[in-house]
Amino acid sequence: MAAIFEAFRFKQKDTFMHRLDPRTTFFMAVVFSIVGMLFLEIIPLLLILLTMIPFIFLARSVRQWSKSLRGLALLAGFILTINTFFLTFSFAVSTVLRLVVLMTAFSLFFLTVHPDDFALALIKMRVPYEFAFAFSMAVRYVPTIATETETIRDAQMSRGLELERGNILQRVRNYIPILIPIIVSSIRRALQVAESLESRAFGSTTNRTSLYELKLRKRDYALMVVSTLILVFALYITFIIRIQAPWFLPDWFFWHFPL
Amino acid sequence: MIIFDDVWFSYNPDQYVLRNLCLQLKPGQIIGLMGENGAGKTTLVKHINGLLKPTQGAVFVDGVNTRETSTAQLARQVGFVFQNADHQLFADTLQAEIAFALRNLDFSKAEIEQRVTRYLERFELTRYQDQSPFLLSGGERKRLALASVLCVEPKILILDEPTQAQDALQKQKLLDFMETFRSPDHILLLVTHDMEFAIRAVDRLLILSKGQLIADGSPRQILNNPSIFERARLLPPQLTQFAHQLAEYIPQFPTDITTLPEAVDAVNQLLRSRR
Ligand SMILES: Nc1ncnc2c1ncn2[C@@H]1O[C@H](COP(=O)(O)OP(=O)(O)OP(=O)(O)O)[C@@H](O)[C@H]1O
Ligand SMILES: [Mg+2]
Repeated sequence: MAAIFEAFRFKQKDTFMHRLDPRTTFFMAVVFSIVGMLFLEIIPLLLILLTMIPFIFLARSVRQWSKSLRGLALLAGFILTINTFFLTFSFAVSTVLRLVVLMTAFSLFFLTVHPDDFALALIKMRVPYEFAFAFSMAVRYVPTIATETETIRDAQMSRGLELERGNILQRVRNYIPILIPIIVSSIRRALQVAESLESRAFGSTTNRTSLYELKLRKRDYALMVVSTLILVFALYITFIIRIQAPWFLPDWFFWHFPL
Repeated sequence: MIIFDDVWFSYNPDQYVLRNLCLQLKPGQIIGLMGENGAGKTTLVKHINGLLKPTQGAVFVDGVNTRETSTAQLARQVGFVFQNADHQLFADTLQAEIAFALRNLDFSKAEIEQRVTRYLERFELTRYQDQSPFLLSGGERKRLALASVLCVEPKILILDEPTQAQDALQKQKLLDFMETFRSPDHILLLVTHDMEFAIRAVDRLLILSKGQLIADGSPRQILNNPSIFERARLLPPQLTQFAHQLAEYIPQFPTDITTLPEAVDAVNQLLRSRR
């Protein structure tokens, strides 16, 4: 399960995606997530996923991405079972696809943007410094929590916990003895970090300056324009065409499994 | 009996964390494992209950190769108390916390109830039995973690740095507990940085440095070999240091002193012989 974190762990690399301005990558992640939320049909969701895959290749992060997809398998299995049972198989598949789209969009962002750069970008977008800082702290602690998760899993397995035991519902419940210590110790750590920040005069000045400045280049503008177009197109289809003239949409758009 | 047969282990291909480890741990003993930070102590003990499997070589617990069994299976024989109790506690009540391992191992309902009561009592936690483990103090949480592992009544017990952040009274209690665990078919393995504590507690001391076993013997044998201390970044107990420094002035003063009564004895004899 800790493999899910792999998708969000920044790795320093020198690629096209890593060199982009964090604001661009953020914008793209948001656009792809919104577009992913707009559709619940299998083929459009697959198309969105296909559009994102080249960027994963550009960021040279295919291995991390696929590793985290495998980490998602349990949750995906759970969604598939529950949704198929209560609704339809097609709906279950598209829900899982939607989850994959969201995860891919955000992993693309987290894999290629250094947490400190993201904080800078937030400040540029007029987010108050405290919030920006809180966010970069949260990202900074992901690897720590991942390591801790492993220790906790080891501790509970030493007490005879078997994660693979039982039916699918039981398997999800098997994670409780791991999740609760993670949450408790994260809260404990958060309180400690807060105290330690305050004792080092965090927030005592209002005008902070920063060592590095962010700059948008041509390729950033180009990608933002493309993303905007994708967003507008997706909004147009969902809110105008699908409602007012759905007969314009090709048959494959609505294709689904016969159950 | 635990056997490490030429064990090599690495987390990632480029570096071995355990190298060429050959070891036999016999029942009836309390064994200490010491070594510098990052020496590989935690890595070593995780091999005993199958959390880690050797990259090369094999580990046998009571004749069973850990590669051919699971951690859940081994949990019946091997109890493992982790360094940080907060990594282990999760249940709504102390009772449920202790019952957790027993349930995982399919004990009968009656047996579970009986053991929960017994172990709450034994670790002086009965009055909190319906409370949440998170409301306990640090020392109490540590005791609960110990109880929740011991209730399985394992033959092999591993304690990873149990004395960290414990006051003198808690250390003494732990020492007492360790003595009660001693029996002809039990093995207790204690991982620690606390030399004074180890010397009081163990029959046999293993020193690990950079993944290799550099010393193995009674605490007294090891204390007589200062070069080991430097390699494993250990400090001998203060009394031993005292004896060594005193021996520089008074050559007949014994240097193999580890405990307070021994030191008092030696000083007393010295004074008498001078009089
Ligand atoms: N999960 C892991 N993945 C990769 N490397 C690890 C992992 N756990 C430990 N290591 C590395 O293996 C080496 C031995 O670690 P180990 O935790 O066994 O040391 P230790 O002797 O228990 O140290 P300490 O006294 O600090 O507890 C260290 O260099 C450590 O960085
Ligand atoms: Mg350790």
